[in-house]
Amino acid sequence: MNILKGNIEKLTISGSLTLIGINVNNIGMSAIVIDTPKTAPYLKTGNTITVVFKETEVIICKGNTDKISLRNKFEGVIETLESNELLSKLKIKTTVGNISSIITTNAVKQLNLEVGTEVTAMIKTNEIMISE
Amino acid sequence: MIEIAIQKILTSALGEMSLDINTTIEKGNLVTIYGKSGAGKTTILRILAGLLSPDKGEIKVNGITWLNTINGINLKPQKRKIGFVFQDYALFPNMNVKENLLFALNKGQDTKIVNHLIEIIELGELQNRKPETLSGGQKQRVALARALVQKPSILMLDEPLSALDSEIRFKLQQYILTVHKEYKLTTLLISHDISEILRMSDKVLELDNGKIIRQGTPNEVFNYKELNAKFQFTGTIIDIVKQDFIFILTIRIGKDLVKVVADESEGEQLLIGDKILVSSKAFNPVINKIG
Repeated sequence: MNILKGNIEKLTISGSLTLIGINVNNIGMSAIVIDTPKTAPYLKTGNTITVVFKETEVIICKGNTDKISLRNKFEGVIETLESNELLSKLKIKTTVGNISSIITTNAVKQLNLEVGTEVTAMIKTNEIMISE
Repeated sequence: MIEIAIQKILTSALGEMSLDINTTIEKGNLVTIYGKSGAGKTTILRILAGLLSPDKGEIKVNGITWLNTINGINLKPQKRKIGFVFQDYALFPNMNVKENLLFALNKGQDTKIVNHLIEIIELGELQNRKPETLSGGQKQRVALARALVQKPSILMLDEPLSALDSEIRFKLQQYILTVHKEYKLTTLLISHDISEILRMSDKVLELDNGKIIRQGTPNEVFNYKELNAKFQFTGTIIDIVKQDFIFILTIRIGKDLVKVVADESEGEQLLIGDKILVSSKAFNPVINKIG
């Protein structure tokens, strides 16, 4: 599991959904939740929250990521890489800390990923969980 | 508010144990006492109900002293306004449901409360039936109604649902919550079921060997961080298989078995038989209509 600390920067509420803009070490993240400040009072601009996402939800990209819909992007360098038959585990050193990702070994081969490769770790907005 | 400070030496098969409880319970709260068998849970309820005396201590309820061993005050059980429901139903077999409830009234008490209870605990269709014709869940509903006939201010539930299957259990939890709110009760529940505790309680007291070892909200006590996940269940681990960098967990949730992938940091701390909370964002599930 990847766990980061951040501050709520912006809340956009519509019906029972809230889009949360989060500042994690000066990098913007976004999360969408089925909650509003009414149902979850900790949703308040300025509050510190914990951002949680699973390793299996982290997408790895090499090269330009400008035209990708994903809102959560962390540039970094692969620090460790372990591969098994089907799955590989990468640890990426980014400015928000280490992010772990589990992707298929086929993808690792296809992208020529190795320790030291510059990559961007990305997570969909709806895969981010938050807690107080 | 209930203020309890009691001590009692208990003898059991395992030897002597000293029960030493000092806590307060807010008025209107539903508080669960959780802990191993023999930790002293039932003894606390019995002492509060006046069915058992502590060696020393004091119990004050809303400022009124129920028990004070120094001053020799010890209110009789019938003066304490307590409703009790146990795991066994203890209904009178020769009386029908309504007669069981009417029998619990005080002399001269208005019978309106019985009709109101029949209404909110939905016993209307069962009111003329004898206990032997009722299912376990139905009997327990009658027992719950009967415990409330005398309008107690404290309701005590000693594992009232542990003999029932999960669906009936869930329904009864709803009835308990309804009457808890409707009659503004302070409710003390003994339960081992973490999902039940999470669903129902304002506060949990965890007991071990006669002492409170942890207390707080269920999330604090069971260390579940309040993730904002909407897809959240408690279950029991049936099987753990490690493959590559992940653990494949088989979990029993209610009547269903599910498989879930855990990463190494989660999987390494888990053992078969562990009770766990499974959370996911609400965006992932796919829905198929089956009925």
